[in-house]
Amino acid sequence: MLPMSGPASIEGRQILLGLQFAVEEVNAKGGLFGSKIELVVEDDESNSTKGVTAVRKLIERDKVPFIVGTYASAVVVAAVKVAAEYKIPMLSAGSTAAAATDQNTPGDPWFFRSWPDSNRQGEDTAKAIVEKFKKTKVAIIHDNTNYGVTLADQVTRVVTGVGGAIVSRDSYNAGEQDFSSMLTKIRTLRPEAVYIGGWAGDGANIVRQAAEIGLRAQFVGSGSMLSDDFIRLAGPASEGFAVATVFEPSTPNPIGRAFAERFRARYNQEANTFSSLGFDSTSIGLEAMRRVGKPDGQEIQKMIKGGMKDFALVQGPAGTTATFNEKGSVDFPDFIAVIKDGKRRLEV
Amino acid sequence: MDLLLQYLANGIVTGSTYVLVAVGLTLIFGILGVVNFAHGEFYMIGGYAGILAINVMHLAVLPAILLVLAVAACVGLGAEVILHRPMKNRDATSSIVSSFGLAVALQNAALIVMGPQPQRLNLDASKMPLLSDLPTEIGPVFLPHQRMLIPLTTVVLIAALYVVLRYTWTGRSLRAMAQHATVARLCGVHVERVALVTFATGAALAGIAGMLMSSVFLVYPIVGNMIALKAFTVVILGGMGNVAGAAGAGILLGVIESLTSAYISNSMRDIVGFVIVIGVLLLRPNGLFGKAVERS
Repeated sequence: MLPMSGPASIEGRQILLGLQFAVEEVNAKGGLFGSKIELVVEDDESNSTKGVTAVRKLIERDKVPFIVGTYASAVVVAAVKVAAEYKIPMLSAGSTAAAATDQNTPGDPWFFRSWPDSNRQGEDTAKAIVEKFKKTKVAIIHDNTNYGVTLADQVTRVVTGVGGAIVSRDSYNAGEQDFSSMLTKIRTLRPEAVYIGGWAGDGANIVRQAAEIGLRAQFVGSGSMLSDDFIRLAGPASEGFAVATVFEPSTPNPIGRAFAERFRARYNQEANTFSSLGFDSTSIGLEAMRRVGKPDGQEIQKMIKGGMKDFALVQGPAGTTATFNEKGSVDFPDFIAVIKDGKRRLEV
Repeated sequence: MDLLLQYLANGIVTGSTYVLVAVGLTLIFGILGVVNFAHGEFYMIGGYAGILAINVMHLAVLPAILLVLAVAACVGLGAEVILHRPMKNRDATSSIVSSFGLAVALQNAALIVMGPQPQRLNLDASKMPLLSDLPTEIGPVFLPHQRMLIPLTTVVLIAALYVVLRYTWTGRSLRAMAQHATVARLCGVHVERVALVTFATGAALAGIAGMLMSSVFLVYPIVGNMIALKAFTVVILGGMGNVAGAAGAGILLGVIESLTSAYISNSMRDIVGFVIVIGVLLLRPNGLFGKAVERS
């Protein structure tokens, strides 16, 4: 289940490639239990009502043993309640919000996410400002949504906790266009780093206008700015911008790098965070089903929960495995990617 | 002090777009009595037309501006046919409601055709003739050419509009309509033509604003929402139907917003304009530059 239309359809299509690639690879080895794996795709349009209907249809009509879905966390929160009732596990296809795994009953999760949640992402990013980039005077800019405010609070807490100082904190309404006066003011405070918590479009706007007025600092952004669209919109101003990520084709993780090469050979395009997480979630589900020996949702949930600790993932640093914690999340440190020559790079 | 001048300059740049959008809005209201809530969408269409002209067709700046003017004017003509012609003998609320409908339809059309992701116009103003000779740093004020283009174009267009309104027959008939539609008709003013010209002009001005701004900012399907609200603020401040008032109030709002985000808080900037409007409506219902007129 993925958003194949609506506002997140671009992401949805990227993630789907990862799913299809995982299924293709298993089928190329002869499938499971003597037959080929069939991928059933439902569109949730990033809409909770549609998502709940899609889950029911997948379980009742298509009789799927597990579901990879979906991208929007609000849809996950609604859909996983239905799936858990039917005893069908779900694996995240992009949802990163801590809320999605926090609503799992600890020790008995039905929603699994094979990468860290948004809290960990924010924390790793904030720590990197002080510890990796050695910047202690930090200005925070965030939008007035729940997303932006939560991130700003967290960055404030973490940065001051590791010895940095917040020199200013400004907010804006999502979709606002002119940041020049706010940025001019921030420039007079001479911050060494600027953290932006908000959506990619606004972030790109801020980075560009900051370059225009000559505000030079280490810019660091929230997870939403991890897209090639961001680089396209911000243009040359995005050089040096840092963002947390779980996968890049140049990852130091050998499993991830091998995946990126196979993916490039098959689709003639670079794998990205979206295709990698689609691939991991699908591979975990299929491998758990193979180990259980039958397409049974309840058995598969038990296997994912405890029996996959040796299964290597393409995301995360070398040696990351599908070791799920109590809440159904895999915990590993995020990479901090820095944009150089219009591409995110892990090595600086 | 140095920064104050920079904030003022920033305010004048955003204020200039408010002027372009609000002048069209106030013209349409003053002359035809139509409250056009789809005016922000003319701005949005101007932005996309600019992207089409420059990013896709690779036109030079002047032909691109002409193309945007033409596209926006055509949309304005279409809007006249929908919002004014069939509604003009009905209650004013009919055209208000249908302009809301038009706004939603245009936004969704843009969503389907252009997609939800924000886009940017790759206009390099620093290579434009004439403009590139101007310095980007004037004393303590730094203005990139891209931004400088906006107030300059506004001044040129508003001056042209002023000349047309003042000295041409078309302008005279527009003003005659604004004063009294029936008498204007009795004097031989071609009322239907005036309506078309008004809508086309209003839309073209908003379209140019959209094009200029999407080279500095971004354009996306619902970008017109906020700009339309700002334009209404300006129109009310300047006095409904008052073109010169709208021009003054537009710059004023831009400067107030800039100073608010500099000295008070950036999150207050969108609020402050509306607070002022409420105050003005309570204390000076004819707008800051309005004159009280006795009803006969």
